[in-house]
Amino acid sequence: MNAMLRLTVANLRSFLRDRAAIFWTVAFPLIFVVIFGLIFSGEPAPASYGWADLDESAASGELKAAFDGLDGVSLVEGTETELLDKMRDGDVNAVIVVPAGYGDSVAAKGAPASLVVYTDPSQSQADGRTRQLVGYVLGVVNQAVTGQPPAVVPQFQAIQTNDFNYLSYLIPSILGMSLMQGGVFAAVPLVADREKLILKRLGATPLRRWQLVGSNVIVRLLIALVQTVIIVGVGTALFGLETTGRWLGVGFLVVLGSLTFISLGYVIASFAPSEESANGITQVVQLPMLFLSGIFFPIATMGDFLQSIARLLPLTYLGDALRQVMVDGVPFAPLYVCVLVLVAWLVGCFVVAARFFRWQ
Amino acid sequence: MSGMTGTTSLGADAVIRVEGLRKVYGDLVAVDGISFQVEKGEVFGLLGPNGAGKTTTVEVLEGLRKPDGGSVSVLGIDVDRHADQLKPRIGVSLQNAALYPKLTVIELLELFASFYPKSRTPDELIELMDLGEKRKSRTQELSGGQRQRLSVALALVGDPELVFLDEPTTGMDPAARRALWDVIVRLRDEGRSVLLTTHYLEEAEILCDRIAIIDHGKILELGTVTELVDRRFRERAVRFDAIEGLGDERLAAMPGVASFAREDGEIVLYSRDVPATIGAVLAASEELNAEPDNLAVRRATLEDVFLALTGRTLRD
Repeated sequence: MNAMLRLTVANLRSFLRDRAAIFWTVAFPLIFVVIFGLIFSGEPAPASYGWADLDESAASGELKAAFDGLDGVSLVEGTETELLDKMRDGDVNAVIVVPAGYGDSVAAKGAPASLVVYTDPSQSQADGRTRQLVGYVLGVVNQAVTGQPPAVVPQFQAIQTNDFNYLSYLIPSILGMSLMQGGVFAAVPLVADREKLILKRLGATPLRRWQLVGSNVIVRLLIALVQTVIIVGVGTALFGLETTGRWLGVGFLVVLGSLTFISLGYVIASFAPSEESANGITQVVQLPMLFLSGIFFPIATMGDFLQSIARLLPLTYLGDALRQVMVDGVPFAPLYVCVLVLVAWLVGCFVVAARFFRWQ
Repeated sequence: MSGMTGTTSLGADAVIRVEGLRKVYGDLVAVDGISFQVEKGEVFGLLGPNGAGKTTTVEVLEGLRKPDGGSVSVLGIDVDRHADQLKPRIGVSLQNAALYPKLTVIELLELFASFYPKSRTPDELIELMDLGEKRKSRTQELSGGQRQRLSVALALVGDPELVFLDEPTTGMDPAARRALWDVIVRLRDEGRSVLLTTHYLEEAEILCDRIAIIDHGKILELGTVTELVDRRFRERAVRFDAIEGLGDERLAAMPGVASFAREDGEIVLYSRDVPATIGAVLAASEELNAEPDNLAVRRATLEDVFLALTGRTLRD
């Protein structure tokens, strides 16, 4: 046990004296959090909507007042054609057209009155926000007209708190990304140690292989925990991330996720002949995973083909599980499925690495 | 080849017994059925050019490689099956093996000391290998010779009964090389056994109680330095700088010449009758209008043995 402890200390010292390693495991995720935090936190940008009233009734006036009363929304009046031109130029985010006869329809309470809203789906954030705002306003208006409380409270009422927190989607994602990178990049120093015959030299001592592997894994887990504290800490302190406080669950996922990706790193190290090739293979493994596992955009927004790939990747499930446990994110898969998939990857990689890993 | 391993006395005290060891890499037969024994308290040398199979042999003995044939017993342990039992009792210095580059000399010694059931103190080894000035230097900052000294220190940290040193003096300056020779002699005086590989003939001659000359995976000769020389050369060596026009046939026909060799622009005649041979050399050079420069007579050395056996010199 003393040998393994000493080796762990030696590995930690080697890590702490390697500036490049520190940058990639600590500074890089930190920069990620800060940049994304600055981009996505804070008040949403003010929206401006074109307002073309073809009805000019009391009802349409009330509707306009309801939109005018929203925080961060300004209305620009004009004709439909003028306003659509403005929207194409980017001067307004959307155009709302009140058709003639709107007031009469509302008063008749027969067939529902309609409202035409032009939005731009290519501006997904603005588009989503417009849809939510319009839905919210119409909900309020409907309630006022019918005089009945809503049967179902619409989800978009959350908009009143201005809590547009993409950041709470992102922080668990960045954590998952860091754990993935920290794990698979464990392959690189391992292959370097093999190339420099350090593993062979250790093989000539009484040190057991499980002690060698164990010590490397412990060091990686310690790094993963430090990463977790930094990423969550900065997210909370600087950008007001609100977590559930289920730290035991988060800790479990951090350890499980790290082990899964460390064993994937050992698989890479099993087949990479040199340090350079280990580096290359690691990039080839991690880059597609970054983009396809829904850690930066929800999997639901991907096409069927990409979704079916995403369903196979361990990072999909680690990110999803972290979001569920850390910030009550909307599940992509049930938590137990996430854990099972991660365990399956862990066991699979372990078996492959145990079979193919070379010590010299 | 005459005088193979059969002449070695089969001591009951052997720390290493190798019988018919074979190791094959694809088409390459790296070690081709070699047998030898190393006695307790002996410094045994494997001498041969690069690629001869020395390192492969040593790494099989250390339990780092599996043999493809034959049997290997080290300190009475079947290495192929029970390498775990062997490792606490041996010390190893690998050729070219790097060490953790970011750790210091003292940290590395302390780390390795923790691997062994009993160990020598790092400070004692730093003193022994003259690394005091580099105690707190990272290993990546050491020179080649210092790194080599550290590698030997690491081989000794587990207080081993048997020490394997693979090309231990490569990259060392002459002073450091002599200092290491003293260390090896002390190890023998302490009753430890040493197996070392080298391609320095001088080193083998000075240090080794017995030597096996190895090339192309086979042992060509085995014995003490005196045995090896006497077995092959009853003759004296007459050497001089090569003379243009003095052909092989003429050399072979000179009186007293049993055999001859050419290397690096010099001619070596192995002669049973030195005065007659020298007379013939002088006559031949006069005929060719040349001087036999650097003409000298000496006893045959290990180098002559090596040259005769492998057709090459070992100079680097």
